[in-house]
Amino acid sequence: MTASVGRTSWPALGVVVAAAALAPLVFTDFFVSVILTKSLWLGVAAASLIFLSAYGGMVSLAQVGIYGVAGMTFANLVVADGGAAAAWSPWIATIAAIVVAVAVGLFFGVIAARSVGIYFLMITLAFSVLVYYFFSQVTQLSGFGGVNNPDLPSLVGQPGQDPAPLYYTTLVVAVLVFLGLRYVSRAPFGLALQGLRDEPARMRALGFNVTRHRILAFTLAAFIAAVAGVLSVWYNGRIAPGSINLAQTIDILIIAVIGGLYRLEGAWVGALTYALLDNYSREWTPTVGDVLGAERFNTILGVVFLIIVLLSPGGLVGLWERVRGLGGRGPGPPGEVAREPAPAEAAK
Amino acid sequence: MKGIRLLALIGAVLALGLVAGCGDDDDGGGGGGGGDQAAEGGGDTIKVGFLSDCEGAFGSFFEPTASGFNQALIDKAGAKPASKKPSEGVTGATVAGKQIQIVGYGCSDGTADKAIEETRRLVEQEGADILVGPLSGDEGIAVANYAKDHPDKTFINGIAGAQDATLKVQAPNFFRYHPDGAQWSAGLGDYAYNELGWKRAAIIGDDYSFPYTSLAGFVAEYCAIGGKITKRIWAPLGEKDYSSYISQIPDDVDGLYVGIGGSGLINFVKQYKQQRGEVDTDRMMGNVFWDDPLVLKEVGNDLVGGTTSAMTAADSDDPDVTAYIDRLRKSYGKELAGLGPSVFTYGYYTAGQALIKGLEAVNGDISDQKKLQAALAKVRLSGDEAPYGDVRLDENHQAISDVFLKRIVKDKTGDGVADVATFRRIPEVNQTFGGFFTAEAPPPDRNNPTCEKRQPPPWVGKAEEVSFGT
Repeated sequence: MTASVGRTSWPALGVVVAAAALAPLVFTDFFVSVILTKSLWLGVAAASLIFLSAYGGMVSLAQVGIYGVAGMTFANLVVADGGAAAAWSPWIATIAAIVVAVAVGLFFGVIAARSVGIYFLMITLAFSVLVYYFFSQVTQLSGFGGVNNPDLPSLVGQPGQDPAPLYYTTLVVAVLVFLGLRYVSRAPFGLALQGLRDEPARMRALGFNVTRHRILAFTLAAFIAAVAGVLSVWYNGRIAPGSINLAQTIDILIIAVIGGLYRLEGAWVGALTYALLDNYSREWTPTVGDVLGAERFNTILGVVFLIIVLLSPGGLVGLWERVRGLGGRGPGPPGEVAREPAPAEAAK
Repeated sequence: MKGIRLLALIGAVLALGLVAGCGDDDDGGGGGGGGDQAAEGGGDTIKVGFLSDCEGAFGSFFEPTASGFNQALIDKAGAKPASKKPSEGVTGATVAGKQIQIVGYGCSDGTADKAIEETRRLVEQEGADILVGPLSGDEGIAVANYAKDHPDKTFINGIAGAQDATLKVQAPNFFRYHPDGAQWSAGLGDYAYNELGWKRAAIIGDDYSFPYTSLAGFVAEYCAIGGKITKRIWAPLGEKDYSSYISQIPDDVDGLYVGIGGSGLINFVKQYKQQRGEVDTDRMMGNVFWDDPLVLKEVGNDLVGGTTSAMTAADSDDPDVTAYIDRLRKSYGKELAGLGPSVFTYGYYTAGQALIKGLEAVNGDISDQKKLQAALAKVRLSGDEAPYGDVRLDENHQAISDVFLKRIVKDKTGDGVADVATFRRIPEVNQTFGGFFTAEAPPPDRNNPTCEKRQPPPWVGKAEEVSFGT
């Protein structure tokens, strides 16, 4: 019933996008930039993970590694402080960065696609760690203190001065990513992917090349992650090895889990929740002796994460659907709630 | 129906954002409340943001750095500590009749991205006019770049030691009142070549930016006088097992300079001892981590005889130093005062002192921050403002100050932990090492700077012998 391929409500999407489009008129520049723009690009990164998880049953930790490759490639190809500073046009650099990251993603996919479950998780984690150490050590590419002030396309202007152009760019990209992934999930490719997720043996018997299909899905997700990587550099105005370390890998996973691993919308719901908590918990965290204080704001994030995971394995989106299920239709069959987020169920 | 409900959910999350955003506006309004007071009193509040690390590799230095900055306000701005926990702030700080309001103690994790997010939060959301921080190298470069884009705000570095932040970025509104990572190594090359007679040396360090800088300071000076570096060994970041790197250390060198930091250094020393029987410290020098209290506690007795350097001297009996430690003890107790000689506490302390002096020079008027910045560029710290030695800035707003050479010695205080004996003062160490490091030169890395004989830095041969508390 969580139906990953659930209908998207066009009016709902329209209202959300319209509301988002008005945000720069309502909020401060700081909020538009540090909360909303950040949520949108983090959401794109999380969407690549959720796509793999929801439709392919592959929880990948490689997405940060792949977006790191894209971000580093972009930052090295344009004029910047540090790195190779190849002085390409930002648009050509963007395309090149995405191509390189997708190629790396394809390569990772070929290696990882044969494994499942915890082994897939570990292999993809290794990819992210590998990318991090690669850029930590090859200082010709990552600069002395990261690559700073890369040349950005004129489309996004000066995000530091006026965040609106970058915000709208990111919004458009996020909507395109959402619609694109939604389309793919309903196309024969996506339906077959869900089949592979639930019954690989049966799909193989039907003549599908399971491994190749998984590799292709992984590569598609790499493309989305690469887009997020370029956006992250546009947003941060820099990239350093620390931008793509293990902590960031875990953050993206947390975002996906908070939002819900079973629906694409969860990526942005999770990212917005994460950005709000990360920013405001620094002020809101109460002081309790030496145990809790403003510098322990991560505890709040952790507690929220735990509560969400305990209450609803489907994340905030799953929580909502569950509340609706209880309220709207009365208590459903006892088994239903428990089984709700199971991927197998989602396919039907 | 499902769509509508999903819409409601997303609406709810957006509403949460709205509340937060408005909360933000309310804070702004709170600031505006301050603004109301300001309207009554004519702009009486100067908002200062504090940025350090409370997570990541340097997370444990959060309270010490805050204690250093607060202590400057307590000393010179009439502030009172709000509690024994420095990050809870101070009350009643005023300079030239203006209230100093600390808008937040920002917490980064050692990465440039987080440092910038926190900087933006403090400056753009909390409305800080002036930012003091950050703590570590890459963060410093990022904040200096941010400063360049925000000329109407002023930035005073905390203790981030990357050379580039001042040498290359050259933001007109970014100031650093402590020596950078390379400057901390000044004097060691001279001592190694001329006193210890090292003609050939090897260096070993962790493979990332801070050790590059730290070792660059040694290489630049040692090679300029005539020393030869025959091998540079880099252990990957986060290495736990140094044995294969220890076996790469050549036997035909006179000495070894060690740029391994933190817990890595503890492993290195233990493994060196296992592999080679003892740590032959008379043939070894180390960077700023060697006399770190934690390192001394763990392996200090093995390091006895080794030489290290930094801008502070823990054993100094200078009355300004003892008074500084006493004041810290009075404000924040014994433990934090014990970290007073740590470069982390001291860097933030001098930043606070410089800020107050700059504000006094413009009579607390920050309506035009260009004036404050011009005043800060001229600030000189001396006496109790900079107890370990006078500080002035060069044209890149980088400190020129003294550096101390120190030897690890057997326990003097009876706590079983090795102590530090300062024996040399290197006067007036500047960032360029006499024109060697420039904005155009390649930044320090595995192979840079190259080892070549040339005009030595100006302080070579001018070191003063010092001796404290003997």
